Parts: sequence; structure tokens; C-alpha cells
Amino acid sequence: MTQVARAGERRRLTGLAGFYAVVMRTAVQTQFQYRTANYLYMVGMIAEPVIYLVVWSAVAEAQGGSVEGITAGEFAAYYIVWTLVRNMNIVFTPYGWEGRIRKGELSGMLVRPVHPIHYDLAYFAGWKFVVILLWVPIAAVLSLVFRPTFDVSALELLVFLVAIWGAYLIRSMLLWALGMVTFWTTRVSALYELYFTAELLLSGRLLPLALLPGWAMTIADWTPFQYTFGFPIEVLAGDLSTGELWTGLGLQAVWTAIGALLVAVVWRFGIRRYSAVGN
Amino acid sequence: MDDDGGNGPGSGGQPAIRVRELRKTFRVAEREAGLRASVRSLIKRAHRDVDAVAGVSFDVAPGEVVGFLGANGAGKTTTLKMLSGLLHPSSGEIAVLGHTPARREREFLRRITLVMGNRNQLQWDIPALDSFEMNRAVYRIPEAEFRRNRDELVELLEIGDLVRKPVRNLSLGERMKAETAAALLHRPQVLFLDEPTIGLDVTAQKRIRAFLAEYNRRTGASILLTSHYMADVQALCNRVVVIDAGQVLYDGGLRALTTRFSAHQTITVGLPEGGADLSGYGEVLESTPDGRTSLRVPKTQAGAVAARLLADHQVSDLTIEDPPIEDVIEQVFADRSAVGAR
Amino acid sequence: MAAPSRAPRDAQALRLVATFLRMGVQTELQYRANVVFSVLQSVVAVATSLAVLGLVFSHTDALGGWSGEELLVVMGVYVLMGGVIRSVIQPNMQQLMEDVQQGTLDFVLTKPADGQLLVSARRFELWQAIDVVLGAVLVAVAVVRLDRPVSVIEVLGFLTALVLGAVTIYSFWLLLTIGAFWIVRVDSLVELFDGMYQAGRWPVSVYPGWLRIGFTFLVPLAFAITVPAEALTGRASGWLLLGAAAFTVALSVLTRVLWRVGLRHYSGASA
Repeated sequence: MTQVARAGERRRLTGLAGFYAVVMRTAVQTQFQYRTANYLYMVGMIAEPVIYLVVWSAVAEAQGGSVEGITAGEFAAYYIVWTLVRNMNIVFTPYGWEGRIRKGELSGMLVRPVHPIHYDLAYFAGWKFVVILLWVPIAAVLSLVFRPTFDVSALELLVFLVAIWGAYLIRSMLLWALGMVTFWTTRVSALYELYFTAELLLSGRLLPLALLPGWAMTIADWTPFQYTFGFPIEVLAGDLSTGELWTGLGLQAVWTAIGALLVAVVWRFGIRRYSAVGN
Repeated sequence: MDDDGGNGPGSGGQPAIRVRELRKTFRVAEREAGLRASVRSLIKRAHRDVDAVAGVSFDVAPGEVVGFLGANGAGKTTTLKMLSGLLHPSSGEIAVLGHTPARREREFLRRITLVMGNRNQLQWDIPALDSFEMNRAVYRIPEAEFRRNRDELVELLEIGDLVRKPVRNLSLGERMKAETAAALLHRPQVLFLDEPTIGLDVTAQKRIRAFLAEYNRRTGASILLTSHYMADVQALCNRVVVIDAGQVLYDGGLRALTTRFSAHQTITVGLPEGGADLSGYGEVLESTPDGRTSLRVPKTQAGAVAARLLADHQVSDLTIEDPPIEDVIEQVFADRSAVGAR
Repeated sequence: MAAPSRAPRDAQALRLVATFLRMGVQTELQYRANVVFSVLQSVVAVATSLAVLGLVFSHTDALGGWSGEELLVVMGVYVLMGGVIRSVIQPNMQQLMEDVQQGTLDFVLTKPADGQLLVSARRFELWQAIDVVLGAVLVAVAVVRLDRPVSVIEVLGFLTALVLGAVTIYSFWLLLTIGAFWIVRVDSLVELFDGMYQAGRWPVSVYPGWLRIGFTFLVPLAFAITVPAEALTGRASGWLLLGAAAFTVALSVLTRVLWRVGLRHYSGASA
């Protein structure tokens, strides 16, 4: 009995792995066609970290070289790694749900025997490979202009390579759960803004978390946000101890699990609602 | 007139689709026009329950092709959505291949397909062939079977060249063909087709139609089809279910529909001497210079009128016909459209 | 000849704009949850800006020669101008982009009124305009907290610079959007602008030379935000304002010309 169940389970996994492979390949193919648009988008995104970097460099300069021990070169390293982490944690936007529901795309997904989140996870994961390729020259230019100081060990590099995917997973789950609010009400942009603001301040996106006042840092510790921005960035650009590296990865796993649970629960109620009212 | 094809399930065995007393009620917000009403609706919003589907029952036998007809808002799409598991019925029973659609079991989803003519399921930026590949993964179609089905569909639809081009470069007709192939790769046993030929030109419509007939013949799949084009229905369906205001108005053979709903017949008569005024016999629909005249007469009097025509004039030929099915359907809806349910 | 027929046509166009405005308000009123959320959203955004300012000034006393209070003026103008952009400029321009892509611009062009005016005034997102109020409040608070009195001349200069800035930003957006007549996908340009606009939170003098030039002439943030703030904090000379005016006029004329060229191109392409 258990053996049969296990065999069934294994077949399902291979099936799902096959699905991921096909979708990721499709994403690479499609997004590579749109490389120009992708590039424009990435260049536009650079404005944000450059502004932060310029401001904090100006502050560091006014303070005689460093803020809370962070030098201009370290700020540069932080915000250059930021650009990769940011590109890694772009996932299906919650704003996309309204269109999905209104245009009936969701109906198309629902009549297929695969949970739609797998499609999004696979598609955006595939896209990341194009993004990383396009990112390299941008990082090179930024490094030439802003002169970052790096001190990276092999372990840090390894943890970083895992942590950026952890960031991707956590943010995918959270934003999927958030986007599903659209099942209940359409005009949700304000709610999303609220979420993104909290994320901006508490994730390390706006500034290294060390620059937050103590009480805000405590709040940040209880939210998942820093595991989608600050943690992966600091693995590479910061100065984390080996213990902190492993704890960070562990907490990423915990938040991924919580996110997945959240998605499962909201999805269940959301679909119940969707199939009660249609679109 | 006993070509009243397949009313109800075929002899023996379970029906492929079984629907009993199906009902779907939506709660809609009532909104009045104007600025003041908008402001008022901020405070308090009025609701109203609307029956989109109000007690529909029918069966579809395995291998049967059934046309599902009704005016816009009659409840067709709502019913199709309930049958494919997208909507939960408010009450009533549905069994599709023995499954309850609303549970959306994978096994069920693997055995059906839903094609909506105005919606795109293929990936826009890549060739259809790659989208097929994705469907293979989605439906877990074994490799050999996938290849066989794909090649067969590509051949039947004659899209061998098209499937290699990015979908965005295809015309609507071409895309719909590719779309249809993608939807059938997993060999579904039940097809829900919502306006599968909408917006296509006549040639493409014919092509899709012929293909669906062939698919049905080869696989024995059941098809439930909605269409605004009566040609689709005539070519594919022996049986139609007409719904209006969420209720079944008619369920039976296509030909019998004509008999039942058309109170008139058309008499076409040829008079070699020509020129006679026949308006005394019935409503003149058409009169050609070579002496042929079409008359619309109440069905019950058709025989008598024909006899009188033959007696009064020298007649070269005379036919009595039922009106075209489009006109009949139009009439069915025209009679009921005042209800205007949604 | 043209003069007598011109006046009623303008009046008609204004009536049309007023109708659009009313419809926009009506649409917005239908979404009651949005009222609460929009207000909340604006308050959160402003609070965020203040938090950022607070964070920076918890680590320093001055930034590029601006004190905290003076930077509050910049922030206020940034919020205010953001409100103008999101309530009027951006919705209209996005609608225009969509219309160009889907060929529905024809419906607008066949109306008997000035096309540029119509496409610029069709939509109005009421709740986004809350930012205009909030921005003004921020500026007022900052002015009170400044340790030097503000003269009437400075206030007038500020208001003038503000109007010029709004026109500049509008022209700039329309220029971007007109690009849609040639390149179909300009969505990424919008993203680009959104990213750049963020830079306006800070006076352009904070940025290194090459960026400062870009934020002055390529993306006219300097004219839209920094110059008004400078006028109110006694940094702007009459010459600066004159320069801003000249720039605004030049940009508006350029936009008008390119709009005409773009329309010709559009009609040619869609025929």
C-alpha cells in the first residue's frame, strides 16, 4: 500500500520536474526575444539603487568617510549586489491578478491539471537566467563608476548562490498570496502599496538594515522581508559570520514554508470564492 | 420526420455528461447612473439575485455532438463553466465522465478540454509547437502518444507549416487551428467548445468544423458546442439543446426544432406564363423575373394553398420547404427575448 | 476669420474636459474601498518619505548644503508634483499609449476638439490628487519650521516655478508617449521614468555632475521639483526662474510640433 503510494508520488514529481523544464525553456526563449525591452527595464531599475547610493555616499562623506562603520566603497558594494538581488526577486506581480481574472486567463489555467503557481514559479525562474546574463555588463559598468570594496570568501559565494533563489521563492509565495486578494475585491492597489512600503523600509531595499533605529530593526527581524533583500545582499557585500550565514539560510527555508502554507490556504478559499461568482 | 437524432443518452451505458436541475444564482450590485447615485452607492449598495441558470437538465451520450444554443446571456457560458469545473453550481447535479466537475480532480481535468474561441491559451511569443510541448508536460502525455496525437492533429488541421512560426505572427484563423490542436493533444473524451469559430472567415470555419466532425468520428469523444453560426450546428450536431433565460426551451433533433417552432413554410412556385400577382395566397417573399415566386404561408394551410395554386394556375414546378434553421432560431429567440434575463 | 469660430470651440473643448472630469470622479466613487485605501496609501507614502528623511538626518546634519527643513520643502514639492502626475498626467498618457497600440485613438481624433487637449484631459484619478494636498501641507510645515522668514516675492516665485514645473513634466510625459507612435512598446519607458522620478526626492545638487545634467535636461526633475524648492528657500535668482520659463516654453513648443508629426505618422500608418 505505502509502496504504491510512494511510486505514485515519485511519478508525480518527475512529471512536475518535466513541466518545470518545459516552462523554463519557454521563458528563456520568450524573454530572450524581448532582450531590448528587458534591458530598458533593467536600466530603468538602476536609478533606484543609484539614488540611495548617492545619498548615502554624500552622508558618509559629510560624516568623515563612513556611516555606522559603512564606507562609501561598502555602500557601493551593497547597492551593486542589490541590483542582482532585486532582479532575482522580481516575481509575478500582484497587480497582474486583476487582468488574469478579468481576461479569463485564470479559467484557462484552472481547466489544466497543474496548480497555476507551478507555472509562475517555473516561468520566472527561467526568466532569471536571461536576467543574470543581461545583468553582468550592468554590474561591470556600475563597478567602474562607483568603485565598490568586496571581500568575498568561497563559502559566502556559495551561500549567496543559494540565498538569491531563497529570496526568489519567498517573494514569489508572499506576492502570490497577496495577489489572490483580487478574488475578493478588485481595486487593491492601495493594499499592495502598503505592502511594498513596509517591504521597502524593512527589507534592506532602501538602506542597509544596520542603519535603521533599534526598534525598527527588531520589527524587521520578525518579518520575512529581509530574507528577500538584505540577507542575500549582505552575504556577499557585508561581513556575516559563518553562523549568521547558516541561520539566514535556515530562516529563508522557514519563510518559504510559511509562504507556501499561506498560498495553499488563500488559494483554497480564493478558488471557492472564484467558482462561486465567476468573473 | 423521425430523424430526431439521439434524444437522451445512447442505448445502454452511462451518459458522458449528466446534468440534473442545475442552477446558478449570482448576486449582482445594482447601480444607477449619475453622480448622485454613485455617491449614494458609497454608503449603501443594493443587491439583487439573478438566476443565470435556473434548473437545467440534460444528458449527452458518449460520442454525441450536441449544439448548445441560446441568445447572449441565456446562460450558455455559465453552464459550460459549471460543466468544466470553473463555477460551482448553486444547486443541482453534474456528472461529467462520472466526475463532479467542481472538485476539479486532476483525473477529470485530464479527460476534458475547454476551448473558448475568443481566448488565447497558446504562448504568444513562441511557435505553437513549443506550446504543444508545454501541454505535453501539463497533461503528462507519454512521449510516443504525444507524438502520434500531435502529428495526427497537425495533419488533420493542415497546420504543418504554421506550428513552427511564433503564434503572434499567425492570422486569427491559423491561430484558432493551432489553438484547437493544442486543446486536443491529450485526447480529451469530452470537449466543451464555446464559440470555437467566432471571428473566423468562412473557409477557416469550414476547416474547423470538418476537423471536429472527424475528431469525433475517430475518437468517439462527446462534444458540447455553443455557436452563433448555425452552419456550425447544422454541420456537427444532430441534437440541440436550446436554453433561454436559464431554462431548457427545447431538447431534441435539429429538424424537429424546425417543425416545432416554425409556424410557417415557404412555397416556391414556378409559373411559365409569369407575371401573376400571387399576394392573395400568402406573403410574397421574393419574385423573380423568370416567373418564380416564394410565398410564406402558415404551416397548417400549406397543403391547401398549394392545391389552390395548382388548381388556379398553370404551374411548372412547386416546392414546400421549411424555413432555414437560422430563421427558426432567430424566431425562437425573438419570441422570448423580451424576458431579457442575464 | 479664425478668431470668431475659435472661441466657441474652445469653450466646447473646456466643457468636454469638464465632462471627462465628472465622469472620472464618478468612476472613482464607485470603488468605496479605494477611498480609504487611497488616503491610506498617500499617508503611507508621505510617512515613508519622512522616514527616509529622518533616517538620513539621524546620521548627518546637512546634505549637499541643504538642511533638514529645507529638504522637507523639496520632499513636499516632490509629493505634490507626484500627485499631479498620478492623478492627471500618467492616467491620460497611459490611456493614450493603449489607444495608439489598439488603434482606438481614432475615436478621439474624430471628435471636434483639439486632439492634444482631449488626450490630456480624458482621465482624472480623484484620490491620487490627495497627494497634492499632502504635498502642500508638507511645504507649509517646512516653511514654518525654516529659521528665516519667507518673503511674498519668494512665494510668488515658488508658485510660478511650480506651474512651470508641472507644464514641463506634462510635456516630458507627452514626449515619451508620442514615442508610442513609432515604437509600439513604450511601457518600459514608463518604468524608466517612474524610476527616474524617485530621484526628485533629493535636490539635484546632491548628484554627481553627469547625473545632475541628466536630471536637469533629459528628465527635467530639476525644473519640476528642485527649482520651486529653491525659489522658496531663497536660493533662486530671477534669472533662474527666467531660464526655467524659457525651458518650459521651448519644451512645450517641441512637444506640440512632435505631437503633430506623430499624428500624421499615426494616421498614415493606420490608414
